[in-house]
Amino acid sequence: MNIEATGIGRSLRLPGILLISGLMIELISLLWAKPLAFILFAFVGGGLFLAGILLYLRSLISPSGPAERTPCHGTNK
Amino acid sequence: MHLPTPGDLLYALLLISIVLVVVVVFRPGITNSREGKILAFLAFFILPVLCMFWGASEHIDRSKQTQFCLSCHVMEAYGKSLYVDDPSYVPAAHFQNHRIPVDEACYTCHTDYAMYGGFRAKMQGLQHIYVQYLGTIPNPVKLLTPYNNRECLHCHLGARSFESNPIHVTLLDSIKTNQTSCVTSGCHDTVHNVANQKNVKFWSPAQ
Repeated sequence: MNIEATGIGRSLRLPGILLISGLMIELISLLWAKPLAFILFAFVGGGLFLAGILLYLRSLISPSGPAERTPCHGTNK
Repeated sequence: MHLPTPGDLLYALLLISIVLVVVVVFRPGITNSREGKILAFLAFFILPVLCMFWGASEHIDRSKQTQFCLSCHVMEAYGKSLYVDDPSYVPAAHFQNHRIPVDEACYTCHTDYAMYGGFRAKMQGLQHIYVQYLGTIPNPVKLLTPYNNRECLHCHLGARSFESNPIHVTLLDSIKTNQTSCVTSGCHDTVHNVANQKNVKFWSPAQ
């Protein structure tokens, strides 16, 4: 089965990019012992981390993403 | 043998996390298996959360360093005042005689020795950063709140050198309640005194 086609690959791509950016920013901020490095870490890196983790957790709940859900053929009508 | 510092281990963890996230992003097929799902959870949740907390702790530790505080231009004169060759200068006498940790000189005297005091000190630090980059720096620089005797008593209370002075013993209650200030009541009132820095001699350490 092609994972890309099911949307799992796509659903991991965005959180992955956000997390890599957050991790890179943390790495850079740790090389620089200045007050601005702390701001960079806490607000920019922290924001990217949080967004990445939340998107990943969301993808665990709905791996195919809301746009790819098949319509429900229930009997509620 | 050189043992890695916590900072080195954090760098290693960050690099491992980046590599694992890259592997999962570029080869999403591995998340098909149970082991792959566990790896993805580790790369996308456990390791980033660990890196975040460890990084925050490392940054907070670094922000206690004298070098960190003096990295702002406005603090240069205060850093210089630690080397004044005059024992009546309270910060200089403490710094030069290692009565406080030299690496954390500013933090040791300017933190808040109360419950959540460290956290409050960090919040005030953020306010300083805001003023440094986005606000107007007051001239002269002033403390946000009057200096609390509690910070002096944190080390001096109960010390023989402190108690052997009869004035301290007589005024102890008044000192504890801040009715008599250690630094502004005329006893130890030569603190950084940066306005008078042109007229003083400086001590230069041998090492």
